[in-house]
Amino acid sequence: MKKMNSIFIVDDDPITVFGIKKMLKPVAGCADIQIFQNGKEALNEIQERVGGSLLPEVIFLDINMPILDGWGFLEELISMNIQQPITINVITSSIDPLDLEKWYYYKARCPHTLNFKNKPIFKIELADLGYINVAS
Amino acid sequence: MKAVENIDQNYLIKQLPTPTAFVGKNGVVMDASDSWLEIFGLVPTKKKRKLKILDFFPEAKDFQNNNAFSLKHKNIINDNISHFESSFTPWFDDNENVLGSIIQTKDITSEVEKELEIERLKNILKYKSEAAKIGWWEYDVLNEEIFWCDETKRIHKAPDSYRPDINEAINFYKSGFSQNRISMLFHNAMTKGDSYEVDLIILTFKGEERWVRATGKPILKNGKVVKLFGTLKDIHEQVMAETKIKENQQLLTTLIDSLPLNVYVKDLESKKVLVNKAECDYLGKSAAEILGKSDFDLYDEKMAQISREEDLLVMKHLKPILGKETESAKKDGKTTYFLTSKIPRFDLDGRVNGLIGISMDISAIKKKEEQLQNLISITTIQNKKLVNFAHIVSHNLRSHSANFSMLLEFLNYEENQEERGKILKMLNHASDNLLETLENLNQVVDVNTKTPQLKKQLNLHDSIVKAQQNIVAFSEKNKARIINNIPKQITVSSVPAYLDSIILNLITNAIKYKKPDLDPVITIDAFLENNQVCLRVSDNGLGIDLEKNGDKVFGMYKTFHQREDAKGFGLYLVRNQIEAMGGTITIESEVDKGSSFNVYFNEENE
Repeated sequence: MKKMNSIFIVDDDPITVFGIKKMLKPVAGCADIQIFQNGKEALNEIQERVGGSLLPEVIFLDINMPILDGWGFLEELISMNIQQPITINVITSSIDPLDLEKWYYYKARCPHTLNFKNKPIFKIELADLGYINVAS
Repeated sequence: MKAVENIDQNYLIKQLPTPTAFVGKNGVVMDASDSWLEIFGLVPTKKKRKLKILDFFPEAKDFQNNNAFSLKHKNIINDNISHFESSFTPWFDDNENVLGSIIQTKDITSEVEKELEIERLKNILKYKSEAAKIGWWEYDVLNEEIFWCDETKRIHKAPDSYRPDINEAINFYKSGFSQNRISMLFHNAMTKGDSYEVDLIILTFKGEERWVRATGKPILKNGKVVKLFGTLKDIHEQVMAETKIKENQQLLTTLIDSLPLNVYVKDLESKKVLVNKAECDYLGKSAAEILGKSDFDLYDEKMAQISREEDLLVMKHLKPILGKETESAKKDGKTTYFLTSKIPRFDLDGRVNGLIGISMDISAIKKKEEQLQNLISITTIQNKKLVNFAHIVSHNLRSHSANFSMLLEFLNYEENQEERGKILKMLNHASDNLLETLENLNQVVDVNTKTPQLKKQLNLHDSIVKAQQNIVAFSEKNKARIINNIPKQITVSSVPAYLDSIILNLITNAIKYKKPDLDPVITIDAFLENNQVCLRVSDNGLGIDLEKNGDKVFGMYKTFHQREDAKGFGLYLVRNQIEAMGGTITIESEVDKGSSFNVYFNEENE
């Protein structure tokens, strides 16, 4: 069980949100798990927290969302130039190679760790939380 | 007494008008008429002369025989040849004893000359007939005998010894037309005295068919046909050559008239001297009306000028124009596309004397090409749609199945009953979502596969009124004002269900995405644009940032506002429905100002 300060889940699908929360329980102890329906809401929260309260250490990010989708969110996040490292897990059911290409594109530009997780997800690994498991 | 008698006799003989001489048995001329002596160049004299008959006729040794005979001889005096015939007749006394011979000499010079002339003429005729390869024949009516000259035999390939009778001669003509015809002509010549000249086929001795030109001419005597004279010429090669030429001409004419190409020949002044059927059909004129005319008579001046310049280039530089795409407007204004070739034409001496033009009407091909282009773009669009749809299907179905997998995995390990209840509720939710997605996809597939459905002319105003009635509760709840500006007479060609769906979706969207602090006002207009009816639904709602989301507005499961009932399906369906009917939909929008959707109906019934 890792102790975490803040985790953001950005997804408009309640089932996925339910699943992520459930899978987080056994691996991460975190009092501040925030849920956002779209990229815009999450971005607003991050903007508010910059310089004040704790920024999320891990973000679970859906791609297809109204108002601001996952890629749009990443674009904005990169431009905010946040120094603190964030582990971002892009979660999608898409098997479209175009989405994978986009992931490569943002991974190269993003100062944060950018993981690509294809649904279905059954377990959240330590790597998803920003830990490299050297012990094993 | 005897002397007197002698003298009398002598004197009598001297005066005989027919040259006559008396020769004794001893071969001495006893007496002769002056005329006889003159023939041999002797002057009559009273003196006794001993003239020996063998001096005159060395070949008449046997004259003292009892037989009469005659001799031909000639005299040459000063290069003048005279011909004579002398007959020797025995001379008897009272007791029938031969005393000598009476010689009567006849000048036959003119007869001999005539014979020679005939011989000469015959030879000339022979050579002529041989040289001209014209045979002749002669039929003697009385004796029913026919004579063929050598050349006539040669034409029949008959041996020189061949002597035909009249039936054989006629039987040489090929049975059927040729034989019947010659029989008739021969008969007419005999009975009516008609001459003839005719080309017929004979079968030669060797059974070979040959074309001959036969003539016949009756020779009359006292108004009766006594002879027929005629000629025969072998014209087989000539007829064959003519036939060949005719065949070639026929072939050429058939060929150019059957070609699906406009073919014409122009002279140096660009006047048409030959046109084929296709060219006549194209110009809607007979060949007689076109020949001798230039393009200036047939097309408008500009077209004709272009064509004339091309012609001049071809004839001047002798370089053909090949397969050039040209546009031809007739005087009636109809435009045809051609693939035109112009090739210089030369006379037998190799001088250019005009040009040959060949034009292929490619209007149909052009049109097909256009249709093909349209088809290609339709196919491209369809293909894009298909890929898009496949993507939607895979993505959306996949996301549901991923949720199922995840929830079932949880359920496998979850022991807490309360938690299991939550998971099951989620599973139910996922199942509903999947069902709804499938239903949506099915609707889209329906729209795209069941078209073209029957389009009807529908009254647009009434359709709006009907939709308003259907959502009256919803619009009242949202205090929406719907202004129907559509003139009552406007109709559009549409599948009824699609029109209802389009109107309903556009109006409910306009109400749904209203601004929270402003009652929705929806204005509905219709107008004509490029012969298409355009239905315009405008609102004063939230609007969409088209710069960011323009490409997604009509996409499936794309939503732009955080609303519980926003599914991102309505506009996607509307777009599919209008496009399936051959129409289009566009959007104008500004954030916080409102949106306008323009629906263009395709009035063509495809």
